[in-house]
Amino acid sequence: MIEVKYFGAVAEKTKCEFEKLSFSEELSLQKLLKDLNQKYEFESLTFSVAVNQKIVSKAADYTLQTSDIVALLPPFAGG
Amino acid sequence: MNGAARYNRQIILPEIGDVGQYKLLKAKVLVIGAGGLGVAILPYLAAAGVGEIGIVDDDFIEISNLHRQVIYKSSAVGKGKATEAKAMISELNPQIKVNVFAEKLSGKNALSLFEKYDIIVDATDNISIKYLINDACLVTNKPMVYGSIFRFQGQVSVFNYQNGPTYRCLYPDENSNAANCEDAGVIGVSVGIIGMFQANEVLKIILGIGEVLSGKILVYNILNNEQQKYDFEKNSNLEIAKEDFERKYNATENQIEEIKMELLLDEIENNDVLFLDVRNEDELPKIKLKNSIQIPLMHLENEMKKLDSNKTIYVFCQSGIRSKIAVELLQKHQFKNIKSIAGGALAMKQLLKEDKLKLKI
Repeated sequence: MIEVKYFGAVAEKTKCEFEKLSFSEELSLQKLLKDLNQKYEFESLTFSVAVNQKIVSKAADYTLQTSDIVALLPPFAGG
Repeated sequence: MNGAARYNRQIILPEIGDVGQYKLLKAKVLVIGAGGLGVAILPYLAAAGVGEIGIVDDDFIEISNLHRQVIYKSSAVGKGKATEAKAMISELNPQIKVNVFAEKLSGKNALSLFEKYDIIVDATDNISIKYLINDACLVTNKPMVYGSIFRFQGQVSVFNYQNGPTYRCLYPDENSNAANCEDAGVIGVSVGIIGMFQANEVLKIILGIGEVLSGKILVYNILNNEQQKYDFEKNSNLEIAKEDFERKYNATENQIEEIKMELLLDEIENNDVLFLDVRNEDELPKIKLKNSIQIPLMHLENEMKKLDSNKTIYVFCQSGIRSKIAVELLQKHQFKNIKSIAGGALAMKQLLKEDKLKLKI
C-alpha cells in the first residue's frame, strides 16, 4: 500500500485528503500520476509532487515502494 | 537604548539580548500586501522593534475585508490600506520608521524598492505577483518570506535565503490559476496563523536564531491542526539575471486596464464589443448579455479561438481578480482591446438591482 496525500485545490478535486492505494505489480511515480489524473481529471491544476516529504521532479523516473507516501501540493494564492 | 523598557521581556531572552534588539533596530523589512497576511505580520514586526518597515499596497479597505484584516476599523472603509496600516503600527510603536508605498508592485518599481530593504515579505494574494517578487528577490539578492492560503490550509516558506531554493524551484510552472481568498473564501484566523508564521521567520532571519524555513515548505491545516514540512532543492537553471528580469517584466507588462461597468451600459448593444465571463458555469448570479460569452478561466487558453480579436473585449469574473489574469493571458496572445470590469459580477449584480443593467431573457 502507498499513501497519497492531497492539498488545496487538488483535495477539492479528489474530495479526500488522503487515500491508500494498493498495487500488485511494480508502480512508477509516472504511472501513479497518470492514473490519478485519469481518475480525478486534474486538467489545468498545477501541483508539485513529493515522495516521502521531499519534492521530486514530476518527470522523475522512480519506482514506488510499499510504504512510500506521495503528496500532491498545489500553489496557494490567498492572502 | 531608550527602548530598554519597551523591549525588556524579549531582551531578557538569551537568544535575543541587547545585541538581538540592536539587530532588530537596524533591520529593514518590506511587506508587500496589507491584506489578511500583511495585517497579521505588520503589528508584530513593529511591536518587536524592527527599525524600518515598508508597506506596499495600492488597495482600499472594503467592508468585506474587515472580518480578516483585523487592524482596520469600520470607520476606515474606503481609505487606503497602506496608510491606515502605517497609522496603526506607528501608534503601536512610534520609535520605528514606517514607509508607505500606495502603489502596485510591478517590474518597474520592484528592483528599486527591494534594494532598500533586507527582507521581502510576500503577503500578496495572487500568483503572478509571487513570481515577480521571487524574480526581483533573485536579482537584488534578498530573502523572500512567503505565505499563502487556500481556504483552511496555509503554506509558509523562505525563498532565496543565503542563495537557497526559490519559489520557482518549488513551483516551476508559472501558468497556474490558483484561487485567491476573494474567489475561494477564507476566515480570519487562517491568514492570522500563517501571517504569524511569516513574522516568526522574519524575526529568526534578523536575529540569526533557530532554523529558517529555507528549502522547506510548511503546510498547515487549521481544521485538523496537521502540519507537514516538505523539502525541496535548488534548481540552478531557474536563476534570473537582471537583463532577463527587465526583458520579462518591462517588455511584457502591458498595463491591465480596469473599467467600471457603469460606463459600459451602452456597450451591451454594441456588436463590436464582446463581454467575456471567465467564471465557472455554476457561479451566480448568471449574467447573460446579448453580446456575452462564457469561457471559464481554466479553459481560456484552449478556447481562445472562440474570441474575435478585432472586437473590444470586456472581461469579468466574480470579483475582478480572475478577469485581470484573463486580460493578461489574452494580452500575451496578442489581443489588443481588452479590459477588466472592476468588481466583476458582484458590481454588475448591484446594477441589476438598480435596474440599470438588463439581461438577455
